[in-house]
Amino acid sequence: MPGILVVAEQRQGKLNRASWESIVGAQQIGNNITVLVPGTNTHGPAGELAAAQVREVVTLEHPALEPYTPDGFTAALADAIGQLSPDVVVLPHTYQTRDFAPKLAARLDRAIITDVTAVKGGAADQGTGVSVSFVRPMFQGKLTADVQPQGPGPHFVTFQIGAYRADQVAKGAAPAAVRTLSIDVDASKIRQKPEAPFQQAKQAVDLSQAERIVSVGRGIKEQANIHIAEELAAAINAEIAASRPICDAGWLPMERQVGSSGQTVAPKLYLALGISGAIQHLVGMKGANTIVAINKDPDAPIFEVADFGIVGDLFEIVPAIIAAVKS
Amino acid sequence: MATLVFWLLFLGFVAAFAAQVARRVWIIAAGPDNFSFDNLPFRIKRFVFDVVLQKRTIKERPLPGLMHALVFWGFVAFGGYTSVEFLRGLGIVDLTGTAWFHLYRLALVPFASAVLIGIVFLLVRRAFVRPIALGDHVSAESIVIALFIATLMVTFLVTFRLDERTTAGAVNWWVHMLVILAFLALIPASKHFHLVASPLTVFLKSPELGNLPNLDFEKEEVGLETLKDLKSKMRLDAFTCVECGRCQVNCPAWGAGKALNPKKIILQSQEALLAGDADKKLGAIYSEEVLWQCTTCGACENQCPVGIEHLPILIGSRRGLVSNGDAPDYLGAMYNQLERRSNIWGLGYDQRTKFVQSAALETFDPAKHDVMVWLGCAGSFDGDFQKSLRSLFEILRGRGIKFGVLAKEKCTGDPAKRTGNEYMFQELANANIESLKAAGPKKIVTSCPHCVKTIGNDYRKFGYEVEIVHSSVFVEELTRGLAASPGGPAVSTDGVERRVTFHDPCYLGRYAGKVDEPRALLTRFGADIAEPERNRDNPYCCGAGGGLLFADKEEEPGSRISDVRFKQLQATGANVVVTACPFCSIMLKGAQASAGSTGEATQFVDLMTFVKDRL
Repeated sequence: MPGILVVAEQRQGKLNRASWESIVGAQQIGNNITVLVPGTNTHGPAGELAAAQVREVVTLEHPALEPYTPDGFTAALADAIGQLSPDVVVLPHTYQTRDFAPKLAARLDRAIITDVTAVKGGAADQGTGVSVSFVRPMFQGKLTADVQPQGPGPHFVTFQIGAYRADQVAKGAAPAAVRTLSIDVDASKIRQKPEAPFQQAKQAVDLSQAERIVSVGRGIKEQANIHIAEELAAAINAEIAASRPICDAGWLPMERQVGSSGQTVAPKLYLALGISGAIQHLVGMKGANTIVAINKDPDAPIFEVADFGIVGDLFEIVPAIIAAVKS
Repeated sequence: MATLVFWLLFLGFVAAFAAQVARRVWIIAAGPDNFSFDNLPFRIKRFVFDVVLQKRTIKERPLPGLMHALVFWGFVAFGGYTSVEFLRGLGIVDLTGTAWFHLYRLALVPFASAVLIGIVFLLVRRAFVRPIALGDHVSAESIVIALFIATLMVTFLVTFRLDERTTAGAVNWWVHMLVILAFLALIPASKHFHLVASPLTVFLKSPELGNLPNLDFEKEEVGLETLKDLKSKMRLDAFTCVECGRCQVNCPAWGAGKALNPKKIILQSQEALLAGDADKKLGAIYSEEVLWQCTTCGACENQCPVGIEHLPILIGSRRGLVSNGDAPDYLGAMYNQLERRSNIWGLGYDQRTKFVQSAALETFDPAKHDVMVWLGCAGSFDGDFQKSLRSLFEILRGRGIKFGVLAKEKCTGDPAKRTGNEYMFQELANANIESLKAAGPKKIVTSCPHCVKTIGNDYRKFGYEVEIVHSSVFVEELTRGLAASPGGPAVSTDGVERRVTFHDPCYLGRYAGKVDEPRALLTRFGADIAEPERNRDNPYCCGAGGGLLFADKEEEPGSRISDVRFKQLQATGANVVVTACPFCSIMLKGAQASAGSTGEATQFVDLMTFVKDRL
């Protein structure tokens, strides 16, 4: 069985949930898993991750790892990989990983496969784990390709956020052992001097992060009917959004507008209630995984892009959906 | 003695005039030279109409325009008289005793009366009526000059009643001559410099509205960044402006309460050029915010009676901003979509393929097809506009026209060109030209007026020439001799009377000058057109052009341009608005949706669908 090293991501004791997803990914490849927790204050996250069904958890504490720098991480992880000599290194495809992983792979002169969404031929498929291939999107998601790394290991693999669900992780019967690895990083070789992290002022409502959206169009007819959509949103734990005329009329605040003059969203589920689907609206929500449209006009352009379309009266259909969800 | 005094005065005033003119000539000559004389026959024709006959001055404001023409023709007529009097005053030669001069003087009397009427009218208009276009304060110098002109005419007419040998006669002569000299000295620094400059400016104005020559990246051209980049014609424009405000009152952005005022742009150029800070950023001179408010509708440039070209300055400055990464965020998103997916919506090409298949369109083959149909970004992806393209296809098939489409077409690059992203425009243009050359169409038909302008005018600058016509022009010719089918919905089956109005797209009516063809189609198929305010070759923009289709804060400052236009169309009392451009349709339907219940009664129909339904 190949040795798999999962590099978890945490900042000052707070674990990034994508680390769990990477462990699930690793569990698809094989069973011989070591989880590496780099940074400072690694004790807490290491303890949490020990619950997973893995061989061991290794912490990597060094002052050069906090704050994060690509030079510090590359040097530290190159050293740790040298000591642990895994066959596969698994990382979550976070912004931080995107920053240092290509550099790390290049430093070690090894193959890297990024943004992987699935594993084929691994332990989960009763495979040997030796000739595993990785599925990743190509050409902006138009195609998916099965990719196999070539050349000597370790091979680097980064998993797309959401490729696996964190709650799918196989838990161990007893917590895995936690040990500390000591490494040698020359702090003077770190060229970056990071400033304090800050968050750019965001809109009060950030619909771009919403997983589910219930969106209202002119078919809602009047402001008094908005509550129907709000009830549906509450029932399925969704954000509420709208097309331009609804926000123009002041029935919902401007920051809930989706479309070319509002926000661009990419939820897993987009429920369009009484939205005709003018092109300026469509370009704001075309990235949604699943689009469900309810509209009384069968010729409405929204049905061109909808995965599921219901031609009918939203005032009958939506209450029925709410009742169905609640039961 | 009197001759000597006159000589001294003459030399003093002429020197004052010459020094001021020389300074302006120097500033103009210091700019990168872009004077052009292409299409001479057109330039000469325009010179005759716009300068000699004052057509553009009269057309929009008939009465003040005519009064101005009276003053102008009078000035020209007086040229010989003034020369003769100066030759006499300077003691060079006295021709005032000749027979022809007496006749000439007599002939001048009606001219003098006309000038007097004209100038008094204009003086009253400027000082008391004070239309908003002339600015928010009365310019003292304009009043003085108007009074000067009136004085010149009065002192001329008085000579018929006054003996020159009397003191009163002599005083009259001196007043006349001194007023001319003082006027001369006032000309260069005032808007009256247009007397000298405008014939030249009109002649040098590009025959093409919104002419934007390609940037040459080999020469590291990046557009206009600082004052020193303003080209010679732009500098001449700055000094020619007569401040009449036709550009201002016709500007849809100004009309909707935005900060953009095209007149102000030209006067800001003038002020900056005289101040001479060559390295001052244009974004600081005009304000970046203002530069992004232009829809490139072309009204300012098209209405200007003195030959000023606003678009090269506005879009040239945008180029400078874009090359420094200073475009608004919403354009960044649109550029991304153009770069990744080669269309403004950022949609995948499978959607276009789906449409091409479902509409049973063939790939263009010159051996099989009469014309190529260019779908455009809207035709390729906008489900709503695709309905009107299906109407066009039905009309073409019904009339036996064989047509095909390009296997793959990219955005023409219009939104990139008009927002100053020249690099992206050229990438798209070169790719399309390559596909077009390979396909080899002789004639292209499209329902997008922006594509007409870009392929028809802008692609020419790459050496690619093809005949491209808007569908309204093609179908008008195709359906001559036909009439509306009796059972058609010209009179509705639901008992509601259909009153039709037509919204001219800027890129069709103003840029391409095609105003009669859409109307011929409408009337041929039963419509009695209720014309909106601002129509034909001077329509009020829908607000989509110049990248503003994507603007995120379209309503700020002021109101949305589309809302203003929708109200103008509603005011006709029509319940059917016919459009002929996908972007006008998107904007106006958006305005209708936002208008809520007051907009419900209005139905939007694309011209092709209107025709198809009644054929």
